[in-house]
Amino acid sequence: MTNNARLLLGSALAVGLLASPGLASAENKSDLDSQPAVRHRLLLVAKRLEATPLFESTINADFRHFVGGGLKLEYHMNDMLSFGVIGVGSASIDTKLTERVLKTLEDSDPTPPPGASSGSREPSKTEFSQHLNKMPIHGAAYVSVTPWYGKLAAFGKAFVNFDFYFQGGVAFAQLTSSCDASVCDDTNPGAPEMGTTGPVPDDNPNDDPPLNSGFKPGLYLGGGIHVFVNDFMAIDLAVRDYAFTDNPSGADFNADLAVKDDDSRFLHHLFAGVGVSIMLPMKVKRTR
Amino acid sequence: MRRTKSHSSFFAALVGAAALTWAVGLPTALAQPKKPAPTPAPAPAGDDEIEMDGDEPAGGVDEGEIDMEGDTAPEPDLNADLAADTSDAVKIDTTTREVKQVSWKDIVVVMRKPFLKLGRTDLMPFLATTMNDNMIRHTGAGAQINYYLTDVLAVGVEGQYFAKNFREPFDLVGRQARRLPTVNKYNFAAALNFHYVPVYGKFAVLDKHLIHWETYFTAGVGITQSEVIPRDPRYDAFTNILITPNIGASMRFFLAKWFTVNLGIRDYIFVDKFEPTDRMMYTSAADAKDHAETAFINNVMFQLGASFWIPPSFEYTTFR
Repeated sequence: MTNNARLLLGSALAVGLLASPGLASAENKSDLDSQPAVRHRLLLVAKRLEATPLFESTINADFRHFVGGGLKLEYHMNDMLSFGVIGVGSASIDTKLTERVLKTLEDSDPTPPPGASSGSREPSKTEFSQHLNKMPIHGAAYVSVTPWYGKLAAFGKAFVNFDFYFQGGVAFAQLTSSCDASVCDDTNPGAPEMGTTGPVPDDNPNDDPPLNSGFKPGLYLGGGIHVFVNDFMAIDLAVRDYAFTDNPSGADFNADLAVKDDDSRFLHHLFAGVGVSIMLPMKVKRTR
Repeated sequence: MRRTKSHSSFFAALVGAAALTWAVGLPTALAQPKKPAPTPAPAPAGDDEIEMDGDEPAGGVDEGEIDMEGDTAPEPDLNADLAADTSDAVKIDTTTREVKQVSWKDIVVVMRKPFLKLGRTDLMPFLATTMNDNMIRHTGAGAQINYYLTDVLAVGVEGQYFAKNFREPFDLVGRQARRLPTVNKYNFAAALNFHYVPVYGKFAVLDKHLIHWETYFTAGVGITQSEVIPRDPRYDAFTNILITPNIGASMRFFLAKWFTVNLGIRDYIFVDKFEPTDRMMYTSAADAKDHAETAFINNVMFQLGASFWIPPSFEYTTFR
């Protein structure tokens, strides 16, 4: 067999063999419309446990900021649905508003004049500060939905995966307030008190117990973003709203001159959080 | 035994490659003296772009270039075709199959940018609200006009008008602590801004729709007019014009060639003048202003806007 004949025969055989599976598979190909939006996508969260040590701080708090750390544990049933719990321990810091108010208050109450239950309608420094409550522990149990995921390029150099998530569930908070018995000494708020000349109306809510401590259940809403630095670690940025019944100032809210349970109202406690999420197992899967 | 399609393809490719090797006579080729490799033409200085289309080199396909169309296949030869053993060939019914030409050129490795901003103007009405003041909330309504000098750099102006409402602590401090808060309201603001776009990306919504977005940073300087709210309404208010630098970060979501949605955070920074504590000493507004107390203010606002782009469309000038 000559070289030319071998070349032609071999070429025909090769083209025939190579073309036949191609043509067969071409029957199944139509166009790109029927293809998935993203191929070979890294399933960065699906069927993984997310453990996130985090830092959290209130946003725009009225009287006290709550700043602390905690842990978020979340199991992702698939790449869109997950459920988890979060718990945070916090310290409290007075806001600028509280600092400014405290600067202008008197150190102690003046002596009540005859026929009055208090020497002044304004609280002393101690009364004001000891009525404010703290939030040493708060948290939530929630269901999370991750409807958006994608990629971003920063400065044309760093290419990272990210996703947005939204959460809803139940919240809880343990509130404390520590008003001394010598300060909050009104055992029957709103009821007439015995003055120097006889019974007088109780027009002083500043010596009433603040009634703003205890376990508070409520509702939880949150949203955030994971920015993945590798296959198993992500920066977690979130805004969380723990809503429950509270009276942060521990003072008379409804102006009935007594601190009672009806001074509490359903309030939103907005927090911003940042954490580092570790995804377990560390090995990641891809879609087809 | 049932054989999968991928196995069939691999097997066919292997046999085809062996046949081609046999046809071109590998031992003969190996016995030939080695020819020097062709020296590639030097690339023009400073030209680091990849040419994707056109400019076919004279004399056929370069070595190393993959020909997707198969136009270098051997010329058809009826005698060779008749001599070939076709007993294993699969007969394909072409009468019922829908013919759809799918080319490799339909798939691009790196997509071109879906939205071009170079030389376009962005008209953006927006709404804004205060994020970091627990006494008074300002709601702003305004507009921006930005011109994109490049695809990532823009210069623009903005103006906004503010309306105020007091938040719960404003009343509580008065009723509970018996203190009248010292607060200013803002009337209007204007600024000259520069925008820089360092981050862009895309995301899939519910695993179906792809949306492109970008993050841009803003820095600028302008003015803000603030006005004191007198603690005692018997006294007159006074206004201040404040030099106001601002910085911010925003996200832009591309919904159409002419329309985007933006949301972001902006920090307006200024030194504001407040009503003096001993206002009863300075009854006139001018006198009180002369003795005003100053404070450094960060007015952080959340902004939500819709951008309308002029011209409403654009044309690509680069390869696909």
